[in-house]
Amino acid sequence: MNRSRRLSVVSVILILLRIGVAVAVVLGTWATISAGRLNPTEWRDLFIFGIAQGSVYALIALGYTLVYGVLLMINFAHGDVFMFGGMTGFFVADALAKAGFLDGMPSILIGMVVVLAVAMVSSSLLAILLERIAYRPLRRAPRLVPLITAIGASLFISNSVRGLYGEQVRAYPRLDVFQGYFFEGGPFQILRVHAIVIVAATLLMVVLYWFVERTRTGRAMRAISEDKDTAALMGINVDRIISVTFGIGGLLAGAAGVLFAIVFGQVNWFMGFLPGIKAFTAAVLGGIGSIVGAMVGGLMLGVLESVGPNLFLSGFGVPSPNQLRDVVAFTVLVLVLIFRPYGIFGRPEGR
Amino acid sequence: MPVAFGSWRRAVAVGAVAGVIVLYLIAVGIVLAFAERNMVTGFVTLGRVMLSIPPLAAGYLIAGRPGPIASRLAAGLLAGAVSGLILAPALVFADAVPQVRDILLRISPKVIAFISFDHPAAFGALVNAGLAAVLGLVGAAARLTPPRLRATLVWGVLGVLIISMLEPFLRPRLTDFGLGAVSRLLYKSHGLTIPGAVVTFAAFVIFTSFWTPLRTRASGAIAASDPRRQATLRGVGLLLLIVLLLALPEIAGSFLSQVLVFVGLYTLLALGLNIVVGYAGLLDLGYVAFYAVGSYLTALLTSPLSSFGLGLPFWVALPVVILGAALTGLFIGAPVLRLRGDYLAIVTLGFGEIARILFLSDALEPWLGGTQGILGVPPLLGTARVDVPILGWELSGPTLTYYPILFFCILAAFVASRLKHSRTGRAWNAMREDEDVAEATGVNIVNYKLLAFALGASVGCLGGAIFATHLGSVYPGTFDVLVSITVLSIIILGGMGSIPGVVVGSLVLIGLPELLREFAEFRLLVYGGVLVVMMIARPEGLLPDVTRRRELHEDEEPEPEADATSLAAAEGT
Repeated sequence: MNRSRRLSVVSVILILLRIGVAVAVVLGTWATISAGRLNPTEWRDLFIFGIAQGSVYALIALGYTLVYGVLLMINFAHGDVFMFGGMTGFFVADALAKAGFLDGMPSILIGMVVVLAVAMVSSSLLAILLERIAYRPLRRAPRLVPLITAIGASLFISNSVRGLYGEQVRAYPRLDVFQGYFFEGGPFQILRVHAIVIVAATLLMVVLYWFVERTRTGRAMRAISEDKDTAALMGINVDRIISVTFGIGGLLAGAAGVLFAIVFGQVNWFMGFLPGIKAFTAAVLGGIGSIVGAMVGGLMLGVLESVGPNLFLSGFGVPSPNQLRDVVAFTVLVLVLIFRPYGIFGRPEGR
Repeated sequence: MPVAFGSWRRAVAVGAVAGVIVLYLIAVGIVLAFAERNMVTGFVTLGRVMLSIPPLAAGYLIAGRPGPIASRLAAGLLAGAVSGLILAPALVFADAVPQVRDILLRISPKVIAFISFDHPAAFGALVNAGLAAVLGLVGAAARLTPPRLRATLVWGVLGVLIISMLEPFLRPRLTDFGLGAVSRLLYKSHGLTIPGAVVTFAAFVIFTSFWTPLRTRASGAIAASDPRRQATLRGVGLLLLIVLLLALPEIAGSFLSQVLVFVGLYTLLALGLNIVVGYAGLLDLGYVAFYAVGSYLTALLTSPLSSFGLGLPFWVALPVVILGAALTGLFIGAPVLRLRGDYLAIVTLGFGEIARILFLSDALEPWLGGTQGILGVPPLLGTARVDVPILGWELSGPTLTYYPILFFCILAAFVASRLKHSRTGRAWNAMREDEDVAEATGVNIVNYKLLAFALGASVGCLGGAIFATHLGSVYPGTFDVLVSITVLSIIILGGMGSIPGVVVGSLVLIGLPELLREFAEFRLLVYGGVLVVMMIARPEGLLPDVTRRRELHEDEEPEPEADATSLAAAEGT
């Protein structure tokens, strides 16, 4: 009797929370729109920026989702794998730019492919190493143990990079090709950087989808995520496939690192933390373990984060709402985990 | 023979790993940071010690494989040599190609000169390789010595290390106490003198070789005596401990008192988080939020410069702060009750970040002061100086903050230890092991989780309140996620659910970096490493809680060797 009453108190708090958030969103949106704070072009730019940012989140989120699929663990250090890609990519890009290789049109394409490739491969190697050293000995440990290891690994990687490469923020080389707009002046005007990032991320995601759905290794990955022990009985080398999964997650994170650095024009040792958590949010938003979910979740989160503060908060007269964009992202994280932990594309699972 | 070949290959592999670790230590900058720190002045620096540990450990590890003694020694030698041979070409290369420094900032001419003993790099590389081989051999030999002797020798070396690291504060204190002669014998330019090192080594060796049998006999005698006498002894021991703790700032001097204040503060925080993580098994990564709430509430209520401008006395504000904290704990705890362990961790992390950004934001600036924070928080015990008449002590400044922290730490430890063995503690225990089973046996999951959150939050807030008064101001920069992770590392190192473990954890992770200033830069690196290594090698922590250890090793067969180590560990506690 007593117990059900207590439970209902919690439920009441949860219902109040839902109503509160819904009211805040509706009122804030109404106030913002009726006050006409931003014009349609500005909204469009915010939206496109959100998509570009979101496609980077999506690439990172895929790493979380893939690993969660095979190991049922949150690889907390994935954000730092992403950061490592951005850093190594920077050194290659910087060297190429100094050699004058990134000036002309044909060579810049090759140059950027090289940068991407180096970043992807190094991130991938780091992810494989991470799994081998930090996670593999803990396969059968209680659930919290690998999570704590992952937090430690995250701290260790980011601070190693800080020690090895220094703690200053490094400016990415400015490339002429990335400056300016496509379709300038028209209704579809888009920053070149954003267009390039969106296209590159989409390509990578298509390749990944094909890999997981059509190849033998992809099938093995899906088999392991269904049932690890049965997959092992069917002759799948579970350890190898888990390594491959980490490797693929690392490849995507490395690419994301380069794209992120291109959009924001800089890299540093701490850049993995926030995008890492946001990408995790995206993965959960879409339904962790689901590949399409991670992609959609990433895009949604990117847009919410870019449009949200202006849409929901500035209507209340909150000063400098863009300061609070991280709060919007974290609030989405908290709300999704509380109300729909299985995400948009996931199914409710038993405990 | 294939077997022998396999074991050689193993030695090469272990040596290679050690070599890579050496390269990493150099490139990440640790070696250079400690290059100037003398251990034994003119003989060995801490930087050199860092370079020596990997080959030594490689030799020790590889010599643990069964086989004839000569081949085990040879394997150690080989492993050490391989680690040195990995360093050698890297050293020569870095010396020849200074551009390496454009990417790896720490590979400076200075560090190269340091590693090569100020000789040309090629010569230095050879010397290092030889040294590494010898170290590997020494490591192997250490593995082959009888355990008693080995432990004694290791304590001797550790003693030299500890006494040399304590130099910055031990030396002035020795002079203060009129032992200038001892200080001059022991220390020379931030390190031990060679006679000092010999004396220290001998003292530790003699002490260990007499102490160990003595202690075994004494603990046997105590265990055999009747329970009432045991209780009296324990009471006397506790009393002595408390007297020692009370006198500590006076013995330690003002610099170390400052360190003690921080150790105490983190002990307090860790005691609070220990209830949530260690007892109830809820991984809370947003613990810093409570710490921040405590600080800000205290500042708002007690500072005359805050937007409330109340200027209440601390002890009047404290109940309000704690109540506010418990409510915050409930507010954060209630929505996340039904979440699984790993999601809970991330959600609490999210809450912690939300709190930090809100404290920082312009939106709340009129109340919380934005990046400036709130100034003018009055010190906890006022600015008064307290004279202790009989002993002639004069307490002021940091020394004064030490006592309230000590008081609250003892209080929190007392409450936590009582709770642990109560009905509540058993309920938490059951919940941590298996939530569903606990619920089925009638444990009210919701209540107990909320209780854990509220208690942890209250203790965290208390820590924040004291911190605010100690610093005299609060500003959002101090409250980032790294505080949560530091506190978590303390608990993990000491042992989840273990109160002595918490104290040891904060002494090592907070106290040691304060003593070794060179360390400050690598603090977080070390915390990360501690989390990973502890989880893999010893998930129950340094001073484990008994139930916890059984839980973490339940699926392991009791092997003879594992038994021996756990016996040794039990002896050590």
